[in-house]
Amino acid sequence: MTSERREVSNIIVNQLAESEISLVASLPDDWVADLIKVVEIDDRFIHVPVNREESAVGLCSGTYFSKTYSAAVMGASGMLTCIYAITKINYTYEIPMFFLVSMRGAIGDTAKYQISNGIYFLDVLDTIGFPYKVIESREQLLEIPRVHRHSRVYSRPSAVILSREVLNGET
Amino acid sequence: MTMNLHDTFAYMVSRWTDELVVTSAGHSSGTWWDLTHDRDQVFYLTASMSLSSMFASGIAVGNPGVNVWAMSGDGAFVMNPGMLFVERKMNLPNLTHFMVSNRCYGSTEEVDIAFSEHADYATLARGAGIDRVYSFNSLEEFKDQFDEAVIAEGHTFIVLNVERVGKEVRTASMDGPEVKFRFGRYVEERTGQTIFNVLP
Repeated sequence: MTSERREVSNIIVNQLAESEISLVASLPDDWVADLIKVVEIDDRFIHVPVNREESAVGLCSGTYFSKTYSAAVMGASGMLTCIYAITKINYTYEIPMFFLVSMRGAIGDTAKYQISNGIYFLDVLDTIGFPYKVIESREQLLEIPRVHRHSRVYSRPSAVILSREVLNGET
Repeated sequence: MTMNLHDTFAYMVSRWTDELVVTSAGHSSGTWWDLTHDRDQVFYLTASMSLSSMFASGIAVGNPGVNVWAMSGDGAFVMNPGMLFVERKMNLPNLTHFMVSNRCYGSTEEVDIAFSEHADYATLARGAGIDRVYSFNSLEEFKDQFDEAVIAEGHTFIVLNVERVGKEVRTASMDGPEVKFRFGRYVEERTGQTIFNVLP
């Protein structure tokens, strides 16, 4: 973990707190691993590690029926496994939810096993009419509360998609 | 020996007071609806493919003063037994998870669960570290232990071993947003929280 990466993780958790989010469900992708470690030790959040990304969809959707705002942190591969859960729960019942997702497979990702995400991930979100904001610079992290709020206006989920460069503190 | 689902749920309904209920796909949803016709205190979460207890956990963690009953079937459970570890991690004292085991996919013409003869769901739950685990094969036994298993505080996983229903049981005829609003308005009234039309 570099100091730049930790600095970015700290900015993100502060934006989550700014969004009044108090519960974070997560399943790690290595690009968001440091963020998850920071959430775990930050007592502003209840951190719930899940063992299947769809469980985060169920859990965070349930928190809607309370004053608890929540977020789900995962990689692009994990979010792709959630498509049915999202369309079933969040679209059928019109329940808001907020995702923070790493943009795996994009240019700059050296992992060949992530390439399919780079090819299909955003297209899949577009196909189901899923609103998201790709964050590629540190300054844009300040948009997290706005994207979170949009899910409440839209009564469906929204996502912030985080680039490798921003998560590594390079931009 | 197994129990009759309708009779088992009828007993639960007779003991049901102010708990929020989340039903799962198939017979648990249809039978609960058939017995109660409740549109407010119940969230009919149909066809979530194993997420009812996670959804109920979200409700429970956000409403610590309210008890929540989650229903799931073993068809859903075997899709995602990892839910037990998440439930254990959260250890919510106001969550009771009823797992209705009929060894088949009840909502899809009762097709057999292929490996159900090898499955011991209560042992799985204990293996996940859950302390309060019960498994019932007779209604009398369930009635005898209801106070200890259901009414007492503490996160609890309960296996209800039931017979197959043998027919389709239709659930509430409501579209998703109606389920959301009726349930949410009930929670608002019950807890004093504002859920809808609030922006962070």
